[in-house]
Amino acid sequence: MIDFKNVSKEYPPSIAKESKVAIHDINFSVNPGEFVILCGRSGAGKTTILKLISCEEKPTTGDVFFNEINTRDVNKSEAYKIRQKIGFVFQDFKLLGYKTVYENVAYALEAFNFNSKLVRDEVMQVLELVGLEGKADRLPKELSGGEKQRTSIARALIHRPEIILADEPTGNLDPYHSRDIAKMLLKINDTGSTVILSTHSKDIVNSLKRRVITLEDGRIIRDEEEGVFSL
Amino acid sequence: MKKKEYFHYNMFNSITKIIKNGWEGFWRQGFLTFATSLVIFIAVVLGTSLFFFQGGISYLIGEIEDKIDVSVTFKDGTLRATILEFREELIQLPEIKKVDYVSPEDAYEAFVEKNQGNQYMEALELLDVNPFLATLRIQAESTDQYTEIAEYVRRSAYIESIAEVNDYERGAMISSLRELTQGIQGIGIALTIFLSLIAIIVTFNTLRLSIFSQKEEIEIMRLVGATNGFIRGPFLFQGILCGLFAAAFSFIVFTFSLFSLNQKFIELFMGFDVLAFFQSNIIIILILQLLIGVGLGVLSSYFAIRKYLKN
Repeated sequence: MIDFKNVSKEYPPSIAKESKVAIHDINFSVNPGEFVILCGRSGAGKTTILKLISCEEKPTTGDVFFNEINTRDVNKSEAYKIRQKIGFVFQDFKLLGYKTVYENVAYALEAFNFNSKLVRDEVMQVLELVGLEGKADRLPKELSGGEKQRTSIARALIHRPEIILADEPTGNLDPYHSRDIAKMLLKINDTGSTVILSTHSKDIVNSLKRRVITLEDGRIIRDEEEGVFSL
Repeated sequence: MKKKEYFHYNMFNSITKIIKNGWEGFWRQGFLTFATSLVIFIAVVLGTSLFFFQGGISYLIGEIEDKIDVSVTFKDGTLRATILEFREELIQLPEIKKVDYVSPEDAYEAFVEKNQGNQYMEALELLDVNPFLATLRIQAESTDQYTEIAEYVRRSAYIESIAEVNDYERGAMISSLRELTQGIQGIGIALTIFLSLIAIIVTFNTLRLSIFSQKEEIEIMRLVGATNGFIRGPFLFQGILCGLFAAAFSFIVFTFSLFSLNQKFIELFMGFDVLAFFQSNIIIILILQLLIGVGLGVLSSYFAIRKYLKN
């Protein structure tokens, strides 16, 4: 489903920063239905890998394939076709503050020109899945961190993506809510969706018992089935 | 149920959602919407004022041109029929707009009316005869044709009956007036272009600020897989709304101020009836204001959002 072939990404220098090699000669594949944890310290290259998958960035050298499509060949006006197959979950939730939980989730469907009559059923179904059916009318500021992240997950799931990219989704949460989110991602994976989770949380990595790709300074230093945190 | 079954790719659905999101953004942005509309309003007022300015200039040029003529004064005793015959000949010329015959009696009456009770009137009464001669007042189609017309009169068969062809003191004035009016129109056009450019830059920057404040929203839209058209649409619609709002407000301001201050404007602009000009050009002014308002709103939104849709 996803193939990284000799991929390097270097960010060009700017006035404030020197050029930086974010990832260096990386090779790995992700099969449909897999749960993969990208593990590494901040700046190890986890987010860059997710950005390369979603066509937000292009590799400096090497090729990234999404469903056998080389992302290098996807021009900026066509990138939405790839993104429509992805559900994103972020550390900072990225919810629209002026929209309710229901509207934040329904909003993703509007972008797909979804038939309005079916939106309500779909949204309520997904909110039930993440346990927020009773909080559909709340604004993000009225939610706890864990509930915000559940909303973010509901939004990521609403269009039934082929893959979920979760970038440090537990970074802003306490251990209890972190475990809760991790369990939810496992549940989503059990329904057949591919999940790539980036994290530097030892507890999460060790509790999930799934494939772990460990990154250090932009290189893969370990790729293990049922891996553990080892940095 | 298959995923494809949920999707209804119809244009009406898209447009409805774009309008809904644009409308929401327009109200939610509050102060920034007001600021953008205000800048567009200023641009619309500027554009409309320049239209009035051009109208005023045309009025002034017309007024001045109407006052300029070549006077042909006939010798005492020239028959009225001869003068009217010459008038008929002149009217046939394409360069001539109109020729007025002023009889000695008409000239006398006009003098009396104009100088009632002053010292010139006393002098006229002392003469006891009508000292005025019959004249033809010739107006040209264009101010640069007066010299040619005067030359034509001097070469004509009626020269023996003519006492004076009065264009000597007006020739220079006519030519410098022509240059002046052309200069004023040139300045007006340059001013229009310059001020329009400033209006575009200011509107663009205000809208850019407004769109910058929605940067995160655009990012989220992109990440949930919205097409560039779907992201751009609501912002363009917001631009249209700001433009419409500004144009409508500007139209109300112009209507109100012209109806209440027209007499002052007439005094200020040397007799130019601004209200009458407004009423006779109301459709053009409305279209002009809508074009400036909506055009500025849409163009500025388009360029301001472009930056965020690059990746």
